Amino acid sequence: MSQRPRRLLAILVVVGASLGFGACTTAGAYDPTPLFTPSAAASPSPRATTAPSPAPSGTDVATTNCLKSYAPLATMPAPGGPMPARSTMETIKKRGRLIAGVSADTLLLGARNPVSGQIEGFDIDMLRGVSQAIFGDPDKVELKVITAAQRLPSLEDGSVDIVARNMTITCARWKEIAFSSEYYRSGQKVLVRLGETTDSGAPIKDIEDLAGKKVCAPNGSTSMEKLRTFTDIQAVGADTHTGCLVLFQQGAVDAITGDDTVLAGLAAQDPYADVVKAPAFTAEPYGLGVNQKNVDFVQFVNGVLDDMRADGRWTKSYNTWLADSLGKAPAPPTPVYGRTS
Amino acid sequence: MTTTPPPAATAAAPSPSAVQTRTLQPVGAPAPAPAGSPAPGAQPAPSGLRGRLESVTASVRAAMAGTPGRLRAVAIVSVAATLLFGLAAGQAFRSADGALERAAANADQLVRIQAIQTNVVQADADATNAFLVGGLEPADQRTDYTEAIATASGLIAQAAQHQPADGAALSALNQSLVTYTSQVEQARANNRQALPIGSQYLRSASADLRADALPLLANLGAANDARVTEEFDRAARASWWLVVAGLLALGVLVLSLVWLARRTRRYVNVPLAVAALVVLVTTVVGTVGLLAVKGNVDTTRDGVYAATLATAQARIAGFDAKSNESLTLIARGSGASFEKAWQASSDAVRAQISGLQGTAPGLTPLPWEGYATAHENIRTLDDGGDWEGAVALATGQDPKSGNVTFAAFDTSSGDQLSALSGQTAQQLDDTGGWLAFAGVLGVLAGVIAALCAWWGVSLRLEEYR
Repeated sequence: MSQRPRRLLAILVVVGASLGFGACTTAGAYDPTPLFTPSAAASPSPRATTAPSPAPSGTDVATTNCLKSYAPLATMPAPGGPMPARSTMETIKKRGRLIAGVSADTLLLGARNPVSGQIEGFDIDMLRGVSQAIFGDPDKVELKVITAAQRLPSLEDGSVDIVARNMTITCARWKEIAFSSEYYRSGQKVLVRLGETTDSGAPIKDIEDLAGKKVCAPNGSTSMEKLRTFTDIQAVGADTHTGCLVLFQQGAVDAITGDDTVLAGLAAQDPYADVVKAPAFTAEPYGLGVNQKNVDFVQFVNGVLDDMRADGRWTKSYNTWLADSLGKAPAPPTPVYGRTS
Repeated sequence: MTTTPPPAATAAAPSPSAVQTRTLQPVGAPAPAPAGSPAPGAQPAPSGLRGRLESVTASVRAAMAGTPGRLRAVAIVSVAATLLFGLAAGQAFRSADGALERAAANADQLVRIQAIQTNVVQADADATNAFLVGGLEPADQRTDYTEAIATASGLIAQAAQHQPADGAALSALNQSLVTYTSQVEQARANNRQALPIGSQYLRSASADLRADALPLLANLGAANDARVTEEFDRAARASWWLVVAGLLALGVLVLSLVWLARRTRRYVNVPLAVAALVVLVTTVVGTVGLLAVKGNVDTTRDGVYAATLATAQARIAGFDAKSNESLTLIARGSGASFEKAWQASSDAVRAQISGLQGTAPGLTPLPWEGYATAHENIRTLDDGGDWEGAVALATGQDPKSGNVTFAAFDTSSGDQLSALSGQTAQQLDDTGGWLAFAGVLGVLAGVIAALCAWWGVSLRLEEYR
């Protein structure tokens, strides 16, 4: 074979080969897989949210003059006996159970005992009293677990008959729902890490000492409303107080604020959490919530609460749940009646 | 071929270095070299680059002059066309072979990603279910959880090794899994002490898993599915190399045959015709073979591969539904959003099961309805106020309980998935087995055709000596 064409051939082969195989050098090399695009999760997320709306300006959250409830029924029906015709109690009796909105993670007031699986606490005992008065049986209660923010909506849409979930009686809430008479007087305090100090190193004595720190409270609670009146504190919201405790343990917030009873329940779960000893900076009278239309049921419940105060069941329940954290039972709060419409 | 006499028309053939110089001239000669002998047809000057170049140009011109020159040109073009055809044929088979191999590798990766997802949602289903029965977790459920997490984290490392493009997403997934397991452990530790914060940690873990890990897994699944499709398409396109190059080479050879027939008074130049025949046969046989590959690929894609994907999706949606059932019960009355999520997952399972029908032979419908009925009964009890009864039905060992009916779905869908993914790999392997060998044959066919073409033209060239 002659020299020249052979060389030309060689060149053609090289060129052809580089063209042919060059075409597939990109095969098998892919773009990197994209990282996640944050999506609106289908399931609800209990993550921290910063408080959405501006702080309330009025003093409506202060509660002193809204304690007035409807007077108890003149004659209480016999427990387990027939209820007044067309009354809310009759509807409940026919259904066979009282449906109550409660907390399952507020230790001492309403919390699920993981060992027995039962939800138990001071709030729950009030409901058992109501069940006893209707059915003659304290256990005819269906406990629906709701968050703080669900308390008013679930009463308004009728999905529960009654709410016993450490709810403060306020004038603002009276516009949407009705309350029983006061069954417990709590007050707002703060919980901090053991040995927490202010930025200048002084011990924490009061909520004002938490300036510049992140403080957690449940969304839709009076604690959150009060918290947001302290403008130099960063308010952080969670679904429940236990959600706040998770954020607190993870170091996402510096402190938690809430009612003393609730904080006592949180402190019981974490030996490094400390409830600041200062007196409560709000008064939080607890009432059982009922749909505004069911005035007869509010009157009935007030009758039950009167009985419980009178026959010592109230004191017994207080001593069972709260005495260890808050001392021996005081005299029960004096009910205030006289609301007419 | 070696016996073919050189078609030299000039007194001296240019030296190899002269040809090279000519080729490299644009790069190698930035400035004119010192003057050599400029006379055309003269002997190459020993020292002048330009002189040597001009002598080469002259000798090439002389070689291409007249009929013998045209004959040489025909020879070169025919040989080049047939050799290019050979390379294109080789490339067609090689490309199909490579694409199938990568498709199989990507399909494997996809199965791996789905296995990660299945194990993650299964772990979550175990963790949430165990919480329903309180602080004292059933030992076998705890074992299940631990195994699922161990499998998932092992698979993440394997997947990162197999597809570098998934690396960043897998490392983010790994972080999210670490966060999840640490939250579950914290939940356990608290639950063991009967503290209510335990279930809050569990809810938080579960919600974070759904917000962070599941979208990442969805991205990974989509990216690998797209890669499989890309390679399937590439394999199906491979025959174009062969068809285009084959038609071009045939065109060149036929033109050469016609030209030779006119110039040489012989109707057919037999070696050149043989070259054309080799090209034709290789093109036709190769195209038929590659189209058969495309057919097989399409069958696999719409058959067992689609069935593998559908089964994996059904399993993932199934475990997700099971978690959501537990979360609905844990939320105890305010779990409406979890129940909605259960419905969505259950619809997804049903859609995948009905999509599975007829995709692959011998598939039996997955037993989802048994569990769905159990779930309806659980919801009826819970909505009717009997939470304890609902939990007992969900977690008990009764043949109609949620856990037992779901286990039936888990077992049969798991068996079906491993059978189907094995079949997919097997079919892709069977389809492409001969392609590497065919690639060698394709190049060989090109070389044989080139030799024939050269031989055919040089027979005529000899007549001018």
